[in-house]
Amino acid sequence: MSAVSSAHLAIDALLEYWLRETDASTTDAVDEHLMRCEACGRVLDGLVALGDGVRAVFRAGAVAAVTSQAFIRRLSDAGLRVREHRLAHNGSVDCTVAPDDDVLVARIEAPLAGVERLDAVAQLSNEPGVEHRLEDVPFDAGTGELVYIPALAGVRDLPAHDMQLTLLAVQGGETREVGRYLFHHRPWPGH
Amino acid sequence: METLDASAAHGPEVDMARRIAASGAAGAQDAEAGLYRLLAPRARRYGLRHLRDPHAAADLMQHVMALTIEQLRSGRLREPERVLSFVLGACRLTVMEQLRGERRRDALLQRYGDDLPLADLHVAPRLDHQRVADCLERLPERERSVLVMTFYDDQPSDAVGGQLGLSAGNVRVIRHRGLDRLRRCVDPQRRAS
Repeated sequence: MSAVSSAHLAIDALLEYWLRETDASTTDAVDEHLMRCEACGRVLDGLVALGDGVRAVFRAGAVAAVTSQAFIRRLSDAGLRVREHRLAHNGSVDCTVAPDDDVLVARIEAPLAGVERLDAVAQLSNEPGVEHRLEDVPFDAGTGELVYIPALAGVRDLPAHDMQLTLLAVQGGETREVGRYLFHHRPWPGH
Repeated sequence: METLDASAAHGPEVDMARRIAASGAAGAQDAEAGLYRLLAPRARRYGLRHLRDPHAAADLMQHVMALTIEQLRSGRLREPERVLSFVLGACRLTVMEQLRGERRRDALLQRYGDDLPLADLHVAPRLDHQRVADCLERLPERERSVLVMTFYDDQPSDAVGGQLGLSAGNVRVIRHRGLDRLRRCVDPQRRAS
């Protein structure tokens, strides 16, 4: 943002200010604007509340997301109990979730170099004939892995089952299998 | 850019500040309450942005408003029409002092804190978290990932992009789309409009 006019601020400008993406002079200008403009202040309040909501539902295990190793490290550093399941390329894993786990992570190795778009298709043994497709998941090809955090609250309630996950590279309307993985899920004993 | 004082020279803040200053030590309770209602949320926002701690922001708000009202009552703020500049300056100084670990604000709060009107403050909306979760689940994968990684601990676009193999500009585009969709989904009024 190069300047802050006396008109209302765009929401992107407010978000950049909140996330400390603005330079010092722009930050000062937004500070001044917010001191006189209650309407923009309330928009910022709404953004902050939305951010709080996203944080709260993620911490409650209510949403799934593809993330990164660095993000997982930040969760651990913040004191969250992280249970990681690592899968080699085309590998399988026995997995579960403990009552005191805060975050469940699947770290899935895959040859991602040259892949432009990646889809993931999950099939569960207790839902025959049903496919769950995640389209265009983000990934850093340089790391050679996909870091997926499922919605832990939903996983806790699942009975024993197997899940097959297939990664597909999509390019020019054609798909190519990148890897196939098997998760053997068992509920925590007694749950 | 229009200056803070020029833009607000005839605003309600200035009217109230003038009334407080004119009443002197006797005080003008309704004007003080009105000024507090208008400016305390703005001081709190400044504190939230610069201190990143709701409790520290609330302390800053109380301190700055106590100082402002005390300065108006005593006549030391000689130009009440500059009240917005005074509040912003007090916010900036207090944050700098707080970052230096100084405790002067505690003494001021003890002196004036009980006099501050606290009612009817605008507070940030509290959202229905189940709705936020449902709306997040409906977003495309990239948008959900970017929003979760952005908002979980307020990460800027270059940090999020570096972790997902995306440029900062690309993250901003994805973030903009995701935020727009999420706001429309979470806020029924925005969806209707």
